[in-house]
Amino acid sequence: MASTTPRQLQEKKPSFVEESLYEVHQKVHPRAVSGIFATWRWSMVWFTQILYYGLCWLPWNGRQAVLFDLAERKFYIFGLIFWPQDVIFLAILLIISAYSLFLVTAVGGRLWCGYACPQTVYTEIFTWIEQKIEGDRNARIKLDAAPMNARKLWLRSAKYACWGLLAFWTGFTFVGYFTPIRTVWDSVWSLSLGPWETFWMLFYGAFTYLFAGHMREQVCKHMCPYARFQGVMFDPDTLTITYDTERGEPRGSRKKGVIPISIAKGDCVDCGICVQVCPTGIDIRAGLQYECIGCAACIDACDQVMVKMDYPKGLIRYSTERAIKQRWGWREIVGHIVRPRIFIYSAILGAICVAFVWGIANKASLRVDVIRDRAILAREVEGGLIENVYRLHVINVSEAPQRYAVSVSGLPGIDMVGERTVEVPAAGAKMLTVQVRVPPESGKKGSNRIFFDVMSVADEGVSVHEKASFLQP
Amino acid sequence: MYKIFWVLWPSFLVAGIAEGLFFTVIDPQELYLFGEPVRLSTMATYSIGFLCFWAICAASSFLTWFLLRSAADINKGVGAPVGFEHGDGI
Repeated sequence: MASTTPRQLQEKKPSFVEESLYEVHQKVHPRAVSGIFATWRWSMVWFTQILYYGLCWLPWNGRQAVLFDLAERKFYIFGLIFWPQDVIFLAILLIISAYSLFLVTAVGGRLWCGYACPQTVYTEIFTWIEQKIEGDRNARIKLDAAPMNARKLWLRSAKYACWGLLAFWTGFTFVGYFTPIRTVWDSVWSLSLGPWETFWMLFYGAFTYLFAGHMREQVCKHMCPYARFQGVMFDPDTLTITYDTERGEPRGSRKKGVIPISIAKGDCVDCGICVQVCPTGIDIRAGLQYECIGCAACIDACDQVMVKMDYPKGLIRYSTERAIKQRWGWREIVGHIVRPRIFIYSAILGAICVAFVWGIANKASLRVDVIRDRAILAREVEGGLIENVYRLHVINVSEAPQRYAVSVSGLPGIDMVGERTVEVPAAGAKMLTVQVRVPPESGKKGSNRIFFDVMSVADEGVSVHEKASFLQP
Repeated sequence: MYKIFWVLWPSFLVAGIAEGLFFTVIDPQELYLFGEPVRLSTMATYSIGFLCFWAICAASSFLTWFLLRSAADINKGVGAPVGFEHGDGI
């Protein structure tokens, strides 16, 4: 080997390389921030959490309004009841969610991450608790460095206890969406909660605690798949949180009120507040990075500094790559929202939404599955008639008990033995065994097409015409 | 630490999807275990089902991680000269 290139040097130290693949994680102590985007973020925290913690307590028709009843295999969402057969709606809902995310990301960047993602929301709440108990950023850094003493022990215990309570309540609420929450509530107090409910409550609670209390930005940086591929949906017209390099550089400290041009500097006073408030601990001035979750905390922080300095706001702002390059104002940015990518996303999303709503509105309130009895194909009964046996699975999807009349047609002289009406409870199902008989000369040898008609006695509009095959030996 | 998450986390996500698909199509009351109908409660069947899916997916993630280890990692402590790697002779 004649010479050693830097690359070979690097490859030669495997143990060193192995370790340096991961930067040493330094705890991020985000500084609290106020401003218009902080207000938006907190509004979203309130909105999503009132929805999450509250919705499961809402009654509807004598049951829980939103309940994903796993034991009964039925999902209740207000007036709608979804059965496993309705899985197509769930699939469409997932497609709608995905396309909404694509559309929102293409227009406004990581709005989901910054304002609505549960990871952001719970981190926000947990950080707020931390700040109330342990103090502001500097106090927390000091406390971290201080040796353990009575005060530190007390503060830490208080923080962990508050986090624990909130995490437990979150886990309890989670289970309350799958088992009626009032039952879970009573069981918790009487210590009679089932083992699996207990497991899932603690599991979900523990992960809330771990993710929002301890891991925080690590989840976004290392675990979130969306953070990895969101860049695909970005283009030069996507709104992102951007530092105006041209206006800010060269950065440097100065006294208040100094006109930047007079000291040959840009508007950035290099106070570092934008880094201190960042929940993922990055410097937005280095440009767009995948770690940026788009929370806009740095915009609020920088604007406050700009106001103090008597400089115009918006050194860090929502802007697009093209707008920064071409010094566009809001008018041009808004004008570029309509572009082919956005048009295609919107068109697909619109079409799927229409199909979804149409499908829900026209969801049948009665469903019938005809199953041939597999044990007996065809047999001769009294009077020389030929009999086939079927089982009808009658599902009442409506919220009221229904009585249905059952009839059969399709062959000359066809008739049935057994119950001709069936009572099915609200959101219930009944299995009905039906013997169908025809004269031996009726139809051809082999398989004959016949039809079952199941019709609501109260409402003739509710009926199902289901085909089946009759075997003639 | 990250390695543990790289094994457990993707398998958790995929197990969630697998669980959803499997139990949408199959009613737990219709399952048979060694020829006997499953007599567990629905909640228990779902939970055990999920944990099994997770374990299987984690095994796959673990194998991926295991096969991704570098030659240097495997050779460590086997007697190969420190820092020796393929391509050193070139």
